[in-house]
Order: sequence, then structure tokens, then C-alpha cells
Amino acid sequence: MAEMRYLKAINQALTDAMAADPSVILIGEDVSEAGGAFGASRGLRERFGAERVLDTPISEAALAGAAVGAALSGLRPVAEIMFMDFTTLVMDALVNQAAKARFMFGGQRSVPMVLRTPHGGGLGAGPQHSQCLEAWFAHVPGLKVVCPSDPASAYGLLRAAIDDPDPVVFVEHKGLYAMKSEVPDTLPILPLGKAATLREGRDVTIVAYGAAVHTAMTAAATLADEGIEAEILDLRSIQPWDEQAVLASLAKTHRLVIVHEAVEAFGVGAEIAARMADIGFDELDGPILRVGAPFMPVPFSKGLENAYLPSPDRVIDAVRRTLA
Amino acid sequence: MAAAGAIVMPKLGLTMTEGLLASWRVGPGDQVAAGDVLFVIETEKIATEIEAQHPGRIGAILVPEGETVPVGAALATWAGEAAASVPIASSAPVSAPASAAGTTPAAAPAARGRVIATPLARRIARQNGLDLARLTGSGPHGRIKLADVQSAMANAPAASSPPATSGHRRKATPVEQVVARRLTQAKQTIPHFYVMAEADVTQLMAMRAELNAANAPVRLSLSHIVMAAVGRALIAQPDFNAVWDEGEIVTLGGSDVGLAVDSPRGLVVPVLRDAGAGHLDAVASACAALIERARAGRLVAGDFEGGALSVSNIGMFGASHLVPIINPGQSAILGVAAVRPAFRPDAQARPELRQELGLVLSCDHRVLDGVRAAKFLDAVVRTLEHPLQLLREPAARRTGP
Repeated sequence: MAEMRYLKAINQALTDAMAADPSVILIGEDVSEAGGAFGASRGLRERFGAERVLDTPISEAALAGAAVGAALSGLRPVAEIMFMDFTTLVMDALVNQAAKARFMFGGQRSVPMVLRTPHGGGLGAGPQHSQCLEAWFAHVPGLKVVCPSDPASAYGLLRAAIDDPDPVVFVEHKGLYAMKSEVPDTLPILPLGKAATLREGRDVTIVAYGAAVHTAMTAAATLADEGIEAEILDLRSIQPWDEQAVLASLAKTHRLVIVHEAVEAFGVGAEIAARMADIGFDELDGPILRVGAPFMPVPFSKGLENAYLPSPDRVIDAVRRTLA
Repeated sequence: MAAAGAIVMPKLGLTMTEGLLASWRVGPGDQVAAGDVLFVIETEKIATEIEAQHPGRIGAILVPEGETVPVGAALATWAGEAAASVPIASSAPVSAPASAAGTTPAAAPAARGRVIATPLARRIARQNGLDLARLTGSGPHGRIKLADVQSAMANAPAASSPPATSGHRRKATPVEQVVARRLTQAKQTIPHFYVMAEADVTQLMAMRAELNAANAPVRLSLSHIVMAAVGRALIAQPDFNAVWDEGEIVTLGGSDVGLAVDSPRGLVVPVLRDAGAGHLDAVASACAALIERARAGRLVAGDFEGGALSVSNIGMFGASHLVPIINPGQSAILGVAAVRPAFRPDAQARPELRQELGLVLSCDHRVLDGVRAAKFLDAVVRTLEHPLQLLREPAARRTGP
């Protein structure tokens, strides 16, 4: 066992993937000479050479298009978009090209690319550098969306995403980059589409992903003091998501709360809630509740942003409501 | 201005205690004249339109259609009245239709119809046959949750165990009604007492088997033999052959004995004439014929006349004893149960396997007493225990005094 930071886990995954497969390349703004805006690709240019770690101008649409083209041509590009907010500019490449290629080529071609990008607030970065837009991508058939919550899953899921034959949007959380935790000496590659049960409980199921997992864990600790045992599922993959794991947990606890940092309206939680209201209907002993951000842009002000982000207290309130 | 007071459930007859409000003919805010129909109520007999006694304007409707309320309960208010006692301002009846339920004081969750329950509570209740309408929910808005269903099942096992099957209701047939009335009367008016005995029928059963194996003209049943034994006991003890009739004790002649027969039309008790007089085969034939006619529904009124006692045999169903109700008009009935093996001490006090028959003699204490009953039963038992006597011609028929 050793301690590892989330950012280092990503760096390690990139390193190991590039070492294992010469077709893996990196492309993005400041990824090469600067080692990434947050340092995810630090040292990779030195180790694997500038021809495999490519800096681009501020040109998200172009670098995403280049990644799609490279993937169709036999490489496994990992593109970095500095903030998820800027993925607005990659939509044509991702949605109309990468997501459609396998279908339109009758399965003869696919786009084995990864688009890494950090989402989330908490850094006072304001409306254009804090958004959680993963639901947009999860809505597009042909794209996979992954969102790890800790160093070990960041490593394991990124390796799986790079290995995957189809385009994967790999969403990191800026607030987690500095997070440190114990990881096994040999980090396993984790399957996409599988959730992890981080905490067993009998009273309520809390489904979360990314940084919201930790909000849920904090809430669960407080609830445990009151005798309420929450079961916490780390979704890990948003598209595809582990429907059976959520259903199995719901069938055990009969109550469901979904937590994410993204705006609640029309979000990932809405999809999970709708599915469980269908296939899990007869298991429900309380309303399915979502805890997400309010329907507004992320505020700059630290005080406002703190109020905006889903807090353990809001999760606790939701749990109490569904248990009422 | 209308008269004071609410519109109440009227009392339409001496025995009326409550009425069903079948339908409203007016709504909140309606102006009515004396004689206008306000609402319709239904009692068990009739639907009645209730008219306004005076003109006025309807305030709030307090009782929805379909509710049954006691006589005198307020059904509605007059506008301008009772504003203090009714939650909504009766001077603002414009919110008419929706206000009906809301004005029922503090009765909001009791609204009939939909039960608020979680899907899980519904599923578990359904699986356990629990009626959610009987539960009180502890969740928001009275929502019934799993915990409510579970505590209901724990607290009321009767309710949670298999629900009473809905079953079937029908009218009793005329025969059943007569039987019910007469047996109720018999059990309630005849002072029954009971004497019981076990008859050792080991020999009897062997004899019967032997006779039946010998191609006898009539196949002997235990009922036939008991009928003969009872008939002969009657002849031997004529004072037992008496009935109570409106303050008089009537002693009968002969040895007529009734026999309870389970016929398609119900339980019937035709009477076998002179059961103690004939040869065992003759008694058996007469008995068989009587049973046959009873089962075929061909009994006539005369078949039911006479006899101070009857025999009821349920031995074929395995019971150890039958304590029967005396047939009205008679003074005794012998309940015959199953023949069962039993170990009894022989002369050397060693266990010996015997066949025993449980007998219960129900008697009318107005006519009979314990001594006479015990002697009579003993006579029957002795005959059954020494069955060869039955093969003799019976003693000369004795007529009553």
C-alpha cells in the first residue's frame, strides 16, 4: 500500500498506458511543455517525446477534431480540455463524429479516443470554469462517460477508458486533484459500467459520483450517529451506469437519494430516478430524491458558491425526507 | 335571513338512527325556496327527498354524498349562519365546488377513496392480504409506509394471517329453515341431560361379519342392530317410552324409534315402526327401506309421526361420541359414534383388545330422570354386548298402559 494523489493517479495511468501501447498519444493545450494546466501530463513529454505529447493552440474544436481523426486512423489519442466548460467547442467532433462513427461505418470503424476534462466548482472559478456538463454527453448514444471519485478509481477507469474501443469522456474533478488516499501497490484496471459500494447500509441508498461521493460519505457518517445507516454507491461510470447495482441496493434499503454536483434539473439523477421509479417501483418505500446544484450558473462569490454546491447537510435533509 | 342552525339528518321513523346521504340537489351558495328539494337520503327501506322548510341560501356542504351519518348530524350550513363555527367564510360561497371537502372540519386526510401508500407498502400489504384502507400511515400526508404495514401485521396477526375468505351466502332452503327453527327450539326449551356408556361390541362385530358373509337376505349395518336393540329396550322398559306435551306426559305404546338420516334435502328423522318387535332381518329390511325413501326424498308426513326417541349414528365419520339434540316432540335421542379398538382388562387383569362403541343418550328431564335413563342405556348396552339375544324372536310385544 502507498499513498497517491488523484492527479498523480491520472499521470500514472497516462504513463502506464503510453508505455504499454505506442499508439497512445496525448493532445491538448499546455499538455506537453507545461505538463498540463493542472499537471496531469507532467514528465510525459520527457519520457515519451514531443511527437506523442502534443501541444495545441487555444483551439478546442480543432484538437478534438484532430483526436477523432487520429483515432479513426489507428491511434489512441487522449485529448485534454482544460475546463469542462470549454467542451461546448468540441461538440461537433464528439457528438456528430466520434459518437456516430461505429454506427455509420457498420461496426467496421470505431473511435478509440478519450477526452479528459475537469469539471466542478469549489475553487471560486465562476460560471465559465466550474460547470458539470456530463449529462450532455451521457445523453448521446455512442459516447461513454466516466467520473472517478478517488485516486484508485481514477487510475483504473482511465486505463480502461484508454483501452476501450469507443470514445470515452473522462471527467475529473478539479477539487479532487490534490486528494490523497491509500492505493494498492499494483493498481487494477477497473471495468467501465460498474459501480462500487463504498459503504454498506440498510436504511437508504445514496448514489453519487465524482466529488459528490465524499459529500455523501460525510453525510452518511453524521446519519450513522443518528442510527441511520446509508449505503453508498459510487457510480464511477455515468454512461453506461450500473443499473443492476442501484436496483439491488434499492431492493435492500427501499429508499434512494441521488447526489451530484451538476445542476439537478434534467441531470444524471433524473435518469436514475426515472429508471428506478420504473424497474424499482415496488421496492420504493419513500420518494426518490435528488440532491444537486440549483438551476443557476455557478456563482463566483465564495459564500454563494458554498451555498450553491450540494452539501452534506442537504444530503442529510434528503435522507430524512425520504425516511419520513 | 334564513333560520338559524344547520341542515341536519332528519329522523324519518321511530327506529331510524342514521341515514345515508345519497345525493345533494343543491350546492354551496344556492338560493333555495321553501319546498325545494335539498338532498336525498336512503334508509334501509326507502329513498326520501328532503325539502327546505324555509327559504335561504346554502352555505357549506359538510357531508359528501355517500356518507352515512347519525340522525341530527349537520349536513350543511345556511349562508350567513354559523360563520363562526364553520372554517370557511360562508359569506364567500363563490369558491363553491372545491370547498365541499375542505369545509369538513379537520377531516382532510379522511377523504374517502385513494389510500396514500408507498409502492413497497402496497406490495407487502398485497402479498399479505392486508387492507391498506384499515391502516394509518405515519409518513407525510398520512402516507402508509412499509413500517406501518409491518407493525399492522405484527400487532394484528388475525388481520395479516390469511384473510377471511369471502365465501358465499345463500338463503336457507325451506327444509333447512324448519330444521333450524325446531332444533333451536328443542335445544332452548328441552332440559337436556346426558348419560353415556361404552358398549363392548367385539362379539357383535364378529357376529355381524359372520351373518353378512353368509349371504343374508339383508346386509346388517350397525345402525340396524342398534335400532333393534333400542326397540327391544323400549319394550323391556315401557316407562321410558314417553314424551312431554304442553304440561302433560304422554306414554306411547309400541317400540317406534326415529332414525336420523342425512338426505339431500337435509337432516330428516323418519320413524321406524315397532323396531323392537320384529326379527333382526325384518328390522334391518324396514330400516334399509326407510333410509332409502329418506334419501330419495319420498318420505310422507306419516313417516315422521310417533316415537319417543331416535337414533343418530355418525360412526362412519370416526367420532368417539356424539352428544345429540333431542328431536322436537320426542324425549330422548341416542348418539352412536364409531367402533374403536381399546385395551380392557380381562378376568386376569391382562390387557385384552376389544371393540368399543361410544353411546350418549340425551334425555328430556321433564319426562325422564337419570335412573330411568341409565337403566335404559344399560339395557341397550347389554343387548349389544350379548348379541345372540338379537337372533331370538323378540319378547311378546307389550302395549302401553
